[in-house]
Amino acid sequence: MTTTTSISREQWGSRFGYLMAVVGAMVGAGNIWRMPYVTGENGGGAFLIAYFTLLYLIAVPGLMAETSLGRYTRQGLLGTFRNIYGDSRWVGLGLVILVFNIILMSYYSSIVGWSIYYAYHSLIGTFTQPGFDTAVLWETFSNNTALNVGMHTLAMLMVTVILLAGIKGGIERLAKWMMPILTIALIAIAIRGLTLPGAIAGLEFSFSPNWEYLARGETWLAALGQALFSTGLGWGIALTYGSYLGRNDDIPLGGGLFTAIGNTSFGLLAIFAVFPIVFAFGISPTSGAELAFVALASAFGKMSAGYAWALLFFGGFFFANLTTAMAITEVGVTTFKEERNISRSKSVLIICTIIWLLGIPSAMNTSILGYLDFVVGNWGLPLATFIIMITIGWKFDAKRLRLVSLNRGADAYVPSAWESIVRYQIPMIMLGIMTYFLYSNLSATPWKTVSGLLILTLMIPLCMWIMRERPSRSLTFSETGETPS
Amino acid sequence: MSLSAIVVMLGSIAALWGVAIITLVHSMRQEERKLSLIEVQGGFEPFSPRAVTDIKNWLASHPDDVRALEMRELLHQQQHALQQNAQTFYGWPNHRRR
Repeated sequence: MTTTTSISREQWGSRFGYLMAVVGAMVGAGNIWRMPYVTGENGGGAFLIAYFTLLYLIAVPGLMAETSLGRYTRQGLLGTFRNIYGDSRWVGLGLVILVFNIILMSYYSSIVGWSIYYAYHSLIGTFTQPGFDTAVLWETFSNNTALNVGMHTLAMLMVTVILLAGIKGGIERLAKWMMPILTIALIAIAIRGLTLPGAIAGLEFSFSPNWEYLARGETWLAALGQALFSTGLGWGIALTYGSYLGRNDDIPLGGGLFTAIGNTSFGLLAIFAVFPIVFAFGISPTSGAELAFVALASAFGKMSAGYAWALLFFGGFFFANLTTAMAITEVGVTTFKEERNISRSKSVLIICTIIWLLGIPSAMNTSILGYLDFVVGNWGLPLATFIIMITIGWKFDAKRLRLVSLNRGADAYVPSAWESIVRYQIPMIMLGIMTYFLYSNLSATPWKTVSGLLILTLMIPLCMWIMRERPSRSLTFSETGETPS
Repeated sequence: MSLSAIVVMLGSIAALWGVAIITLVHSMRQEERKLSLIEVQGGFEPFSPRAVTDIKNWLASHPDDVRALEMRELLHQQQHALQQNAQTFYGWPNHRRR
């Protein structure tokens, strides 16, 4: 039985605000510290061609599907799944996605903490001090457990304060400022980097096409991984943000095309901003924390006006991570608020406290962070995308969603070809990715692989058992109006 | 820098920044049009002609489906909006301007 009560649902204040918030949600550390290196390592231009193909064929239609489902149900993850599956154990599939989101945020907040720490050091001018060694700073910071927990705590406090201000007053207000600032910061760094002697080698590394790579399966898998994980498809973020859209707001252009392409545009901007500097200073190209916190920090220290460049980069990097953290946490906040029928403030405080507590082990030990990232990244997120796409494509019916929601108020008409992408293409690709990761990791890291798979395998029946015939306390909406059902 | 790298770089800029900027500008302009229609006449029709044709075709092939009621209600909203509003958001060749 469904218990219904009234919900006053907030909406985005402006189109620009929604677009900045949703792009900010997807632009995170991966765009800045991963994409330039992955591009260069996988055939440069050949990788980009594979990447663009997959982006337009999979990420754009997938994001359209997720956003329009959220706009249709106007509910969070569990409410949406209950709307589709009724009060049955299958709502547990939504809980599986929610659990992955919370686990993801539990260790992502440590990464936000790292960026806060480096933004602080760029502010006080640490990197431009004579004789300063960035490798030593990174090592000292990594080994200081208390400091890492403190930064994780600070990151969660920031997220809590922003989310307490609401969708419009918190997330939208900040994203409207942070994303343009991040854009300007990266453009300024790119211009400066490109004027350095030897910088063009960085562009050559990233863009020079090695066509042989187009025939390699690894290139396409790397492109697929970047296209899917960078756009956050299937994690519930697009669904949650879409649930705050108005009935006649456009989805195909804003929620689909702009979100995917805008997000990747930041990856391209990062290529221009990062690798010219890396090559100009003769630093070996790499990715991840080592690239941002050691290599680039060192390069900024050697540049004229290095203080300003370091501040722009680490400030922008912090903004990118913070807007993503807000979005991941909001998935849990919206869902918990609706499920328990409590105030938003209470939901924010409870969810953020849970994430903070769960994140302490990752903040204390990077091996735990690495393990969680391994499990969630390799199988958790592809599984979440698989669940959402199967739910939309088959249970809800992709055709129905296209007719009643996706093409409503649309700035561009979406034809029926979209339906088969959601029904067949994306789920099959997700299964392929999970199988490939299993195959490639089993011999190299058998313990991590088997234990990760075991946890995931147990998670599905456990979540379904928790959600068995659990009544909702929230409203369900239909696209024709806000009718409780 | 090699010619092929320059071509790929320019192509990437067009495929990403070009598309993102055009989409953003177009989306903002369409939103302005929607807002002005709401301001002037209180609303606009939710579906384009092609989207309405899709719904009608679906209803023609599934007249007794459990979802037919929802589809009919959407068509009703659409017709009501077209009758009520002098200006339309989508291009309707036969719509009468008041």
